[in-house]
Amino acid sequence: MDTLLKISQYVERGQIQEAKEATRQALNVEKIPAMEILNKGLIAGLAVIGEKFSCQKAFVPELITAGMAMKESLDLLRPVFETSGAPSMGTVVIGTVEGDVHDVGKNIVTMMLQGAGFKVHDLGIDVPPEKFVEAVKKYQPDILALSALYTPTRLAMKETIKAMEDGALRSKMKVIIGGAPIDQSFCDLIKADGYAPDAPQAVQLCKTWI
Amino acid sequence: MKDENIYVGRRQKINELRAKNEKMTPRERCLKAINFEEADRVPIDNWMVPEIKKGCMTYWGLDSEAELLDFLGVDVRDNYGPAYVGLEFKTHEDGTVEDLWGVRRRKVIYGKGTDHEGTYTEVSHSPMEHMKTVEEINAYPRWPSPDWWDFSKVKEECAVWHPKYFVLNKGDRLDRTAQLKPMMYLRGVQQTFIDLATNPKIVECIRDHVVNYFVNYNPKVFKASGGAFDMFMMGDDMGGQSGPLIGVDMWRRYFRDAFRKYCDIAHSFDLKVMYHSCGDVYSLIPDFIENGLDCLQSLQPTATNMDIKRLKNEFGKDLSFQGGMDIQQVLPLGKAEDVRKMVKYAMDSAKKGGGYIICTSHNIQVDTPIENVATLFEAYHEYGAY
Repeated sequence: MDTLLKISQYVERGQIQEAKEATRQALNVEKIPAMEILNKGLIAGLAVIGEKFSCQKAFVPELITAGMAMKESLDLLRPVFETSGAPSMGTVVIGTVEGDVHDVGKNIVTMMLQGAGFKVHDLGIDVPPEKFVEAVKKYQPDILALSALYTPTRLAMKETIKAMEDGALRSKMKVIIGGAPIDQSFCDLIKADGYAPDAPQAVQLCKTWI
Repeated sequence: MKDENIYVGRRQKINELRAKNEKMTPRERCLKAINFEEADRVPIDNWMVPEIKKGCMTYWGLDSEAELLDFLGVDVRDNYGPAYVGLEFKTHEDGTVEDLWGVRRRKVIYGKGTDHEGTYTEVSHSPMEHMKTVEEINAYPRWPSPDWWDFSKVKEECAVWHPKYFVLNKGDRLDRTAQLKPMMYLRGVQQTFIDLATNPKIVECIRDHVVNYFVNYNPKVFKASGGAFDMFMMGDDMGGQSGPLIGVDMWRRYFRDAFRKYCDIAHSFDLKVMYHSCGDVYSLIPDFIENGLDCLQSLQPTATNMDIKRLKNEFGKDLSFQGGMDIQQVLPLGKAEDVRKMVKYAMDSAKKGGGYIICTSHNIQVDTPIENVATLFEAYHEYGAY
């Protein structure tokens, strides 16, 4: 079977070791260009699992392991991209907002954004607005991504956006928000640029902004 | 109970509606509902974070939680089971404290300095996160034992409520009968999902320890109540906002057998079984019913596929429901009219033929204005009468 097809299937099935091995084979033995491995192998596999997830044919365990297979295989391509110029879709600063320590959703989004070619700076959990401001100044991202699980903690998203306005940083980037209690009306309420109900759709939305 | 005019006025509507509607004791009302018969009105359960309970007591001029529940016409009373008498939970240098499972937790404050400030006790360290083998998991020194509990006071604690009220054996949030949740505490949420996809032996090993604990613990609790419990509650979050966290096949493979066992044990003590799960669990409901569930709790209306009208139509002959009120959007952000509309919709959809206890889909959170809580309970009494 075509190695690129194999890579895409291993990613889709979350077979981490197999995906890495096939990526190595494609890169080192078959000398397939890294960009082609990324697009036709890794991204193709992730796209399939993303679609399955969105229509409830795959679930969180399958999505996480696919994301991990993607990320670990991508790490093998990084040295090549670093010498030949990394294919960057854009830069994202991501974190779970202050008062909230839940990060599974955020971690899946991070993996999938990385897989889609974004450079992602993950600030972790319980991140206060001033830390987001600091990171935005440092990395100058195209997108700021905020996550929360609870309804009271989602209010810290509003504070974070306000901190961006106060620091005259808000207009320099798009803000995407996500997490269980987030919907379009909350997104409108706190004047974020967009929200996504799941990780695959978050990646889609971020792509449209670049 | 304070008697200043302002409180008397605020209480008036609920008092008048209750006087008009109520002809049964709370327990009689709930038993009717849970057995698919119409009572005098739809029974009410109440889930609130402590900060909201306090806010309600201040709003209505009430001096205790018992007074609050009585005034609101809440029919269900919770029993948290036996008293913990095991070794003292260890406090670590970083301020984290071990729980029943040996999982380190810390208090996380949110909304610092705002009117919605509150605290959650969150997992800060999962002791099994880096374990690689079932041998390591089997050798874990902190597996809990039912011997760590004093069951002698359960009966007298229930006697405060029984037989006037419907007594729910709820357990504490941290030791509630479950399978997936303790696994996530012990192993970490993300690692648990990875295990589910890649490491069945680890999943089965942790699950067996957890199940073994509850299978030995629960009969002792039920026995200790001396027949004062009406319903047993277990809970495991199998649903996410837009779909179940795991597929039906995976649920059957790992969690079905113990789900059934938990139900069977409760049924052998003549208890009904209620199961809490947040989120969209629609595709799992036929399996829940087949494996013994009596009442599904949460019915989170903002989750996909959890519309109460649809659930009642499709499963209402075999399954009763508790919940359905939205704590994510309507209660914290909606207007009084939105709250009333939500209550009316749920009552119109689910009250016919019994089988419904109205409640919020989870604890009312601190971001909810007390006025919306007042409207919610007024609407329960306005639209709940048969």
